[in-house]
Amino acid sequence: MVEQQSPLGPVWKPGAHGKVLGGPGVVLEETRPGSIVQLAAFPGEEKAVMAIIADATGLRLPDGAGAGMASGGKAAFGFAPGRFLVIDQEEGLAERLKPVVPVAVGTVTDLSHGRTAIRISGPKAEWVLSKLFAIDFALPAFPEGAGRSTVHHDIFTQVQRTGPDGFDLYVFRSFARSFWTTLCHASEDVGYDIR
Amino acid sequence: MSARRAASGGLIDRDKTVRFTFDGRPYVGFAGDTLASALLANGVTLFGRSFKYHRPRGLLSAGIDEPNALVTVLKGDVREPNIPATLLEIHDGLAVVSQNRFPSLAFDVGAASQLAGKLISAGFYYKTFMGPAIGPLRGTRFWMFCEHFIRRSAGLGRAGFAKDPARYERMNAFCDVLVVGSGPAGLMAAKAAAERGGRVILAELDQRFGGSANWSDETIDGMPASSWADRMIDELSERGNVRLLNRATVWGYYDGNTLAALERVTDHKSVGGVGEPRHRHWVIRAGAVVLATGALERPLVFPGNDRPGVMLASAAERFANEFGVLPGEKSVLFTNNDGAYRAAAALAKAGSVIAAIVDVRAQISPAAKGLAAEAGAELLAGHAIAGTEGGRAVSAVKVQPFDATNGKPFGDTRTIQADSLLVSGGWSPAIHLASQAGGKPQWSAELQAFLLPDATQNWIGAGAVTGRFSTSEALAQGHAAGIAATGGPEMPVSLPDVAAHGLDLRPAPVLEVRGEGKAFVDFQHDVTADDVRLAHREGFVSVEHLKRYTTLGMATDQGKTSNIPGLAIMAEAQGVAIEDVGTTRFRPPFAPVSIGALAAERFGDVKPERLTPMHDWHVEHGATMYAAGLWFRPMIYGEPGETIEQAYVREARAVRSAVGIVDVSTLGKIAVQGPDAATFLDRVYTNMFSTLPVGKARYGLMLREDGIAFDDGTTWRLDENEFLMTTTTANAGKVMQHLEYFLDVVWPDLKVHLTSVTDEWAGAAVAGPKSRDVLAACVTGTAVDNAALPFMGIVRGEIAGAPVMICRLSFSGEMAFEVYCGAGHGTHVWNALMQAGKPLGMVPYGLEALGTLRIEKGHVTGAEIDGRTTARDLHLDWMLSKKKPFIGSMMMDREGLAAPERISLVGLVSLDNRPLNGGAHIVEELDELSPHDSIGHVTATCYSPALGRYIGLALVKGGKARHGTRAFISDPLRKRFGPVEIVSHHFYDPEGSRMHG
Amino acid sequence: MLITCPYCGPRDLAEFSYQGDGNRQRPDPGSTDHEAWNAYVYDRLNTAGDHREVWQHSGGCRAHLAVTRNTLTHRISSVAFAREAGHRPHERKHGGES
Repeated sequence: MVEQQSPLGPVWKPGAHGKVLGGPGVVLEETRPGSIVQLAAFPGEEKAVMAIIADATGLRLPDGAGAGMASGGKAAFGFAPGRFLVIDQEEGLAERLKPVVPVAVGTVTDLSHGRTAIRISGPKAEWVLSKLFAIDFALPAFPEGAGRSTVHHDIFTQVQRTGPDGFDLYVFRSFARSFWTTLCHASEDVGYDIR
Repeated sequence: MSARRAASGGLIDRDKTVRFTFDGRPYVGFAGDTLASALLANGVTLFGRSFKYHRPRGLLSAGIDEPNALVTVLKGDVREPNIPATLLEIHDGLAVVSQNRFPSLAFDVGAASQLAGKLISAGFYYKTFMGPAIGPLRGTRFWMFCEHFIRRSAGLGRAGFAKDPARYERMNAFCDVLVVGSGPAGLMAAKAAAERGGRVILAELDQRFGGSANWSDETIDGMPASSWADRMIDELSERGNVRLLNRATVWGYYDGNTLAALERVTDHKSVGGVGEPRHRHWVIRAGAVVLATGALERPLVFPGNDRPGVMLASAAERFANEFGVLPGEKSVLFTNNDGAYRAAAALAKAGSVIAAIVDVRAQISPAAKGLAAEAGAELLAGHAIAGTEGGRAVSAVKVQPFDATNGKPFGDTRTIQADSLLVSGGWSPAIHLASQAGGKPQWSAELQAFLLPDATQNWIGAGAVTGRFSTSEALAQGHAAGIAATGGPEMPVSLPDVAAHGLDLRPAPVLEVRGEGKAFVDFQHDVTADDVRLAHREGFVSVEHLKRYTTLGMATDQGKTSNIPGLAIMAEAQGVAIEDVGTTRFRPPFAPVSIGALAAERFGDVKPERLTPMHDWHVEHGATMYAAGLWFRPMIYGEPGETIEQAYVREARAVRSAVGIVDVSTLGKIAVQGPDAATFLDRVYTNMFSTLPVGKARYGLMLREDGIAFDDGTTWRLDENEFLMTTTTANAGKVMQHLEYFLDVVWPDLKVHLTSVTDEWAGAAVAGPKSRDVLAACVTGTAVDNAALPFMGIVRGEIAGAPVMICRLSFSGEMAFEVYCGAGHGTHVWNALMQAGKPLGMVPYGLEALGTLRIEKGHVTGAEIDGRTTARDLHLDWMLSKKKPFIGSMMMDREGLAAPERISLVGLVSLDNRPLNGGAHIVEELDELSPHDSIGHVTATCYSPALGRYIGLALVKGGKARHGTRAFISDPLRKRFGPVEIVSHHFYDPEGSRMHG
Repeated sequence: MLITCPYCGPRDLAEFSYQGDGNRQRPDPGSTDHEAWNAYVYDRLNTAGDHREVWQHSGGCRAHLAVTRNTLTHRISSVAFAREAGHRPHERKHGGES
């Protein structure tokens, strides 16, 4: 299999940047999962799709808008009515899912190339993200595992909280370099490491 | 130590000296000083020249309400004008200049306009310059002539031209309780809300938290009020649920309990920290808001009330107590309420001589009398200031007995020598935010002020903003507000003890002393009491009209000090009560906001942009990139010495004669999936898609509901229930929204999912007679011959190990293939194609060549599908199915849309062998000087290598009927007029044999 | 202005796109009633007060929402998914001099 090229190119500069004192406020990474797949349920079929996700990934998603889970190199969350993003570090998830989703239940759309996964973690992750998005990142309002759809200017973004101070962001690939640059810029005042 | 700096006291840090310059002269102050306090301590009283009359002006206030002392801060080549000296904190290296003076602050030529002062009254400019006709300069032209000179003499600071290198940022914040103002009320509210577990933001516009606690000489819980405030802040900062924001002005109250604040992050520092923005624009969504914004003291209106040295009494008290600075060595106070007495005592304590307290009231409270005695001041009850004397500063004041029944002084004038005159016209609650939010202010005759309106959103007032001016009331109200804001029941608590003077801040209803000489209402816009009366005489009855005619309250201070005195004079002139005059609604911003903060980070290298997967390859191979919306696309791959035209002609020729490759990744791509996908497409496209076999593509056209053409593109059937729709680059977002709207709102019963997959696929179009040879050389896993891959056929295979999907379709008119692969494989596949094409002479081509090829073929794009044209206008009526209804099908046949005189698509050939201009009009008559009767316009132009002519596409009345006729293109702006022949838009290979072959 | 998206919760106006008057009644696709089509495409109520509108949460879950908003105060009294809200008849007769 041909390896995917990162869209970040020259703006991915590993190392420490920004404010030096007090250690990095955040760590930025491109996680490069092998599979990013959208599973969309037709109305009334949400439970069936959640069961398919559970079978395929072992992630049993809680009910409710934006509910999700992340564990063991796999993650899934709801980001719109009936729609879920399922992420696997392994390739080939879309091919595995397509045969098991009946036509009347929903659809599978492979976005493994179309979305770029960026992880921001660290004590200042909420602070940095709050500069870019008009949503509440505080833990009670945005619990672990949960997903959100939002936008920074024209850059549509899906966000999953993967830990107490960690978030995975999924942005359109064509915007990834621009978004990464913006994210680095926003992280300067707290200091950031790129890994 | 200057005479103006008290020997001790104040919250400044006397161990840290700070050096700065004002008008080029070096000064020294202390850390914690504002520019105002530092200059005052250095004996500077003249801060600026006024807006219209160039009168000398000094400090009126000590805070955000300052109308006079506006200065320009210089940072390198960047100048920021109109900063209140009272809000500007000094730091080492700060360079400030005064404004609106020439050649210098002390000797200003423009001050001569004072001599003509009578002439420059309200509406002066309108009356003088808008109407008259003087020679050839009539009406507006005369104004435009004069404006040049007026602009030089009137106005505030001058903006610079240098680019502002500072960074700004936006911060989105959420909280249960936002407390605006950190005086005693705000501190209590924040504490109560925080103790109940609420997420709290406490915003303070000044450098120090504490508000009035910093300058009152009261004690709270047995300690100086400022120490009590410090202790409260220490406690709050220990909590995880409280965010403390100082230097943060909450300036806007919007729907949904959303408030905007501007935090001045680095303005007070010589050097900002790494990555720190200069200003941070906070957008705060609050569950509840505690408005603890306090009150603003008002000046009194009397002749000569703008002379430097005339200052608000509370400002003087603040300079003395917070900064250890005295406004003068010998002061007179002039008041209509008890508040000034506290200031007198504070100043006396700090070392100033208090010559007299002049009070318009005949009866003075015992508490006030006691303070007057404490200050050693002579008390002149029932008196008023009738005027001031002095040059650029007050040297003496004139006092006369005052007749409260007619507002005029009478009897013997006494002159008292003094270098400062401290005035108090009572207090106006700072209700600006509530007014912005739509609340209607309530007039209180008792306080001569507008009170906080009833809540229109979830806010609670606490402290002086409610019209309760004592600190003990502020503490109680603040505590209650903090509890109410977190939604809990009242809980008994022992409130801190306050030792205060027990003064009554209710003013006598006197805001003006009438007499000879200019008496200013709006200091910043130079509006006098006479201007207000003149406006009344000229028939301006509504307060809204008064405001616009006199510009009262329209300066950068938004009338913080002038609003009530102006209304009082208007009411008096009309013979009505102030509440019947009404007030204007306050609008955001409460205080000026830097544009940079609002624009935040949407410029420079953080402006969003979209790059295709092959972007770096294009740049490395010499492409000139072109911004198409947010996308960057290669325009040409120029070789050294080539012009743009030479480059695209070379590229287009290569496509026609051999083969070329172009990046088409920017085309909008939408996955249309589900059992009803084909049905859905039949409804949104004008032509049929349910009949399209799997593995084939079809060109489709969409109309809007009104029957106008909307977008076109090919849609590929990948499976029974799965289509890949392509749209034009520019319309990708709009088409997606259009389709989503119909699925969600109109046909929710259809089982279809739409997903943007624009970014999933990299696309390369390989076009030219040798294009199939290129594919044959690199594609594996499928044949690409005519049988396997007929026109509009789709196959899947691999190129250099990467999966690809290939569709044979043509935009150029040549045999062509669109090769799609995963975006992350885009460069890999592109390189493999380039490698395979090298022996065949393949060249990469850009947008210019792409455009040339399509113009030669007469294909339409957004230039022709411009939101006004119909399918018929574009000769696409063959695509309008008669077998089914579709979006726009009922509206497209309306009379006006089928009229024969509509413009329709034609080709143009330049007959003078010069380029045609896009956007040029087409006229029938040879009249270059006065072109008339346009019959249409040019939509696209190029040099056609295939025809060897300059050609274009155009929309022309009558369309086809004009084929073979001549006309002229007319483009007077770009000075182009020339003959053209109108021809068919199919310039090249009209039968399409090349792409089908 | 905030709109409470039934899926995403309260979000800032900047995340939404106005998608037109929610009182519009689209005629049956095959209808040849030109007046009805004209009314659907062009006639608007210009309400001062509570107004039914369609908004898309375009910067979020992309669902279309049926929103009742007071055009005088911006107060939003109800929000529902448009696909579940169904259609309401046009509140004004077609044709007419109004």
